[in-house]
Amino acid sequence: MQLPLADLLSRRNLLRQSAAIPGMLGATAFLSQQSLAATAAGTTPAGCHFAPRAKRIIHLFMNGGPFHGDLFDPKPALAKYAGQRPSGTDLVTERPTGGLLASPYRFHPSGESGVPVSELLPHLRQHVDDICVLRSVHADNPNHGPALLQMNNGTILPTRPSMGAWFLYGLGTENEDLPGYVVLCPGKPVRFSILWNSAFLPASCQGTYINHSSIDPEKMIPYLRNTKWNQETQQRQLHLLRQLDAEAQRRNGQDQVFETRIRSMETAFRMQFRASDAFDLSRESQRTRDQYGKGHFSNGCLLARRLVERGVRFVQVYYGNSQPWDTHSNHNETVPNLCRAIDQPIASLLSDLKQRGLLEDTLIIWGGEFGRTPTSENGNGRDHNHHGFSMWLAGGGVRGGMTWGETDEFGFKAVQDRMHVHDVHATILHLLGLDHERLTYHQAGRDFRLTDVQGNVVHQILA
Amino acid sequence: MLRNKLLFHPGQVVSRVRDVFAICCATLLLSGLPDATCADERQSASTPADIAFFEKKIRPLLVAKCYSCHSSRAKTLQGKLKVDSRAALLRGGDSGPAIVPAKPEQSLLIAALQYAPNAEFEMPPQGKLAAHEIAALTEWVRRGAPFPGAAAVPAGSPEAIDFAQARRFWSFVPAQQQPLPDLKQSDWPRQRIDHFVLAAMERLGLRPSPEIARAELLRRVTFDLTGLPPTPEEVVAFAQDPSPRAYEAVVERLLKSPHFGERWARVWLDLARYTDRTASWLYSTGQAHLYRDWVVKAMNEDMPYNEFVHRQLATDFMPETGPEDVPALGFLGLSPNYWKELQLPSEIIKVIVADEWEERIDAVSRTFLGLTVACARCHDHKFDAITMKDYYALAGVFASCRIKERPTIDETLYAPVREALLEIDKREARIAELKKKKPLPQGEIDALTGEIAALRNDTPHFDTPLASAVVEESLHVERKGKTMQSGTKLVYQSQPQDLRLFIRGNPNRLGEVVPRRFLTVLSTGDQPVPFKTGSGRLELAQAITTDGAALAARVLVNRIWLAHFGRGLVTTPSNFGQSGQRPSHPELLNDLAARFITGGWSLKRLHREIVLSATYRQSSRDEGARSETDPDNLWLARMPRTRLSVESWRDAMLAVSGDLDRTMGGPSMSLADTANQRRTLYGTIHRREMSTMLLTHDFPDPTAHSPQRIATTTTLQGLYALNGPLVLERSAALARRLLGAQLTSDQERIALAYTLLFARQPSDRETQLGMEFLGETSSAGRANAWAQYAHVLLASNEFLFVN
Repeated sequence: MQLPLADLLSRRNLLRQSAAIPGMLGATAFLSQQSLAATAAGTTPAGCHFAPRAKRIIHLFMNGGPFHGDLFDPKPALAKYAGQRPSGTDLVTERPTGGLLASPYRFHPSGESGVPVSELLPHLRQHVDDICVLRSVHADNPNHGPALLQMNNGTILPTRPSMGAWFLYGLGTENEDLPGYVVLCPGKPVRFSILWNSAFLPASCQGTYINHSSIDPEKMIPYLRNTKWNQETQQRQLHLLRQLDAEAQRRNGQDQVFETRIRSMETAFRMQFRASDAFDLSRESQRTRDQYGKGHFSNGCLLARRLVERGVRFVQVYYGNSQPWDTHSNHNETVPNLCRAIDQPIASLLSDLKQRGLLEDTLIIWGGEFGRTPTSENGNGRDHNHHGFSMWLAGGGVRGGMTWGETDEFGFKAVQDRMHVHDVHATILHLLGLDHERLTYHQAGRDFRLTDVQGNVVHQILA
Repeated sequence: MLRNKLLFHPGQVVSRVRDVFAICCATLLLSGLPDATCADERQSASTPADIAFFEKKIRPLLVAKCYSCHSSRAKTLQGKLKVDSRAALLRGGDSGPAIVPAKPEQSLLIAALQYAPNAEFEMPPQGKLAAHEIAALTEWVRRGAPFPGAAAVPAGSPEAIDFAQARRFWSFVPAQQQPLPDLKQSDWPRQRIDHFVLAAMERLGLRPSPEIARAELLRRVTFDLTGLPPTPEEVVAFAQDPSPRAYEAVVERLLKSPHFGERWARVWLDLARYTDRTASWLYSTGQAHLYRDWVVKAMNEDMPYNEFVHRQLATDFMPETGPEDVPALGFLGLSPNYWKELQLPSEIIKVIVADEWEERIDAVSRTFLGLTVACARCHDHKFDAITMKDYYALAGVFASCRIKERPTIDETLYAPVREALLEIDKREARIAELKKKKPLPQGEIDALTGEIAALRNDTPHFDTPLASAVVEESLHVERKGKTMQSGTKLVYQSQPQDLRLFIRGNPNRLGEVVPRRFLTVLSTGDQPVPFKTGSGRLELAQAITTDGAALAARVLVNRIWLAHFGRGLVTTPSNFGQSGQRPSHPELLNDLAARFITGGWSLKRLHREIVLSATYRQSSRDEGARSETDPDNLWLARMPRTRLSVESWRDAMLAVSGDLDRTMGGPSMSLADTANQRRTLYGTIHRREMSTMLLTHDFPDPTAHSPQRIATTTTLQGLYALNGPLVLERSAALARRLLGAQLTSDQERIALAYTLLFARQPSDRETQLGMEFLGETSSAGRANAWAQYAHVLLASNEFLFVN
């Protein structure tokens, strides 16, 4: 099967797609957009609908689903009614649950704002004035697969593009030498590549999955290293390639796409060295390494910082293989360990970004695909809970030191200022300078959006 | 002042049921109101901007927030007010007119939305709308409340659409052979195609490009028809053939090549969302490759396209085909499944099952008819004359069959195998138990192992492959116990089922029964005849190629055209409805479709006519004058230059380096394995874990119907060209082939490389550049130097592109 040249320059193709949207220049991962970074401050960058507050995003994904009642949404009523099922606790989740299970963890009012944070997160607590806790998030499905899809792709159907693909489609990338959307996971989250797919958007918008179980850059990035030729040989090859291509163009006529492709190989040649740099944690000082701490998640956070620093648009750091936060049993034995593994690295990431002046236009998202039930599963576990759970945002145009919305007195269901996952997406897009109703792609007979026909921007949490 | 909230909404008692409904409805909204962002073209009175505004902002709001109590669909109409048409709003309800056009401040509706202190009502009662939503509705009333008509009528009522009018749409009318247009340059055409193409060019003052050089034509047509490069022998033979019909002979040879089927099967497999493997937790048995091989064979045998359609949907109903043809059902049998957690309430599982049915409808209607029927799941189609009833009439067909593996021999012959498999399972379970014992009862284990071997060896037809297929079983999702918490059971019944219409697409809100039948707009009578045989798959398939023949033929002809020219005559290949593009050459498409049908639906005839045309034989050289008039080459005054698909690129690397394994068919092999030297068609496609190589090179997502590939140029592809293990390995192999050839000089080796890769001789300058490159690297050893040189040629644009 042969592909049309007219479509090769996907930027041209995207322009056609977005022709109806003035100022909306869809661009793909590697074609452009140095211009975005170069745009003078105060003006709206080419890809945006309006001035962005965040230029890049780090999404810390607690796959499996953490219990908000242990961490950011204290519920004293759990202890009061422990073991009972008062009215309001009869919501359907994935599995049958029993009576309420108290959270044994204490909360402390933190920072100047006094937002309560769990004792399990002593380092993160110190940053609460930069954090906006969303306490009223809710989703549609209590199974991991559909919930992961909804959180990442906006719908439980496996045939829609991921939010990262939408970001790249809307904004392009700031660094031509690195992928614009990187997914870090020491293993594989449930559902795997569908969570960062591009579906009907151009393939170059898809996330680049990197398993950082090993932090050797050559093991992380496919095809990064040439196993046969050294740098000098590669340079000679590229030189010959250019000469032969000039001959071919003399013979066959010129074509912009030839030049584009040769350039992509030259960029790839440079990326071999740049990517090694971007992904090489050994270039960090021992002090920084110590600050972030040890372990996959620490490494993921540090890698994320190195990547956004170099203009990668969107980095997702999955906590771990499969679904580590899925504590159906021995919940209270597992949670302190999980929290230990995230507390220091996230705190260090926030202070590191702040120190470098990056936090103000880098959005940090923390959350799982859903939360967990306040009721117990078999006495010592907690089931999935999509009716109400917490996420938090920091940096990139978000008001810190606040909470938004409320769950009921047990933390089961969002009741006040309910924020559906669509609303989370609409708000994130807004922070990126994109109108979720105008970021559309026409296919199969209609315009598609990340938020489908839903979604409201929650303006109250914007700085 | 009345606060009528509770009076008007007595059903708003909070209960567990409602909570689940909330889940379902929210889930539905994701897929449930798909074209709320579409505009309605059937409206004539309002401006397009008004219509777009209404469809984008207003209709979704009315549907989501008001219709459940204030529309023809409402179970209990509240306050006698309907808000589903302009007339109804003007008429109003118990309290009088709901709106005064252009005067929002006088409109009851707006006051109610604002929860205004002096208002009689606060609507919607569940809570005030967001400020921007109220603003939008106010603006809409200010604009005079334009309300495009068609979709406002009660869901699923066929009277709403003027089908006689709808049937006159360009893609639905019968296909007819067209008179040939008058031409100035009347000696140019070689085929009927050329008359139409040239006429369009002449209208725009364009002239066709000269014919492409012979060697390049051979490379073009060989890749195009077989996906492989011509061999040096074929290049020489064609160059030296003095016959005026030499090209015709080449085309015949290529059409007869078994590789023809491999190349063109892949085009179909993109549409059919073919996969070899799927996620481990989803139901997936049977051997997918049997379907892939079936498509290859159908292409090679030039199975008439109408039969090709019938067999894929219903070969098990066709007396003329036997069980050996069951792999044809892979089109349905390999449909994606969604995970159904049976611990969840049946209300939720019903939505997931409904999503699956929608997937089948989407894949079948887009593939075979170029229609987006899935848009009509929750409301009548916003653009096309497709009603919700049409949707549920088709959904009933898919709700009456079940994905299941089937043997490729008669079921009665296979029955003993099923028994043997059960017996083997029992013994394997027993062995697993025994293995836990200490000391190990080796004797008993050996005995059981022997029995298993005997069962395998002695049961006739034991190794018969099972195809991924469907069987006639209808699915009913039921509550497992008495309460919602008890979970769900899936009940399969042998009788087919007619579905009840899902109100607003919600399977938990049922409307009237819709008999299984074909789409109204494509049916000849006023009302389509209900299907009578089983699920109705065969009747559906036959309807597609009889009642729907003109549309089906146009869609297919356009797909073939697209694959040859890189661009369809219709540029929305899977949308031939109102919102799709109109053909660039309507007479040509009409003529091709008509002759495709009368010519017995032969694909090879169509291919032959295209590749023998003067249009196809033009040079692809882009000359300024042409591209100024026609920058997108819409009018085909030159042949577009095309890039090889990832399959052809890989196959060509294997072919030119002399190692391509041309074995056809059989189970797939991983593409990550460099020992895999078979055609890329046989590389494993995995829905969950796509091959990195394919992912990097624009291979479409195998979870969904892919109408067309979109090519990109990315740095990751650049990395692959520099460092990909296959590229490096093929470079070494090509170098070995060149060095091993019985040639006397390196210049001759370079010439051989050019013939293999580019089907031409190198220029002096090209030879010189090659010699310099090779000369400089003498220290690295000859084999290495040649491998480095071969690598450059394999990575070159000229190798990847076809003139």
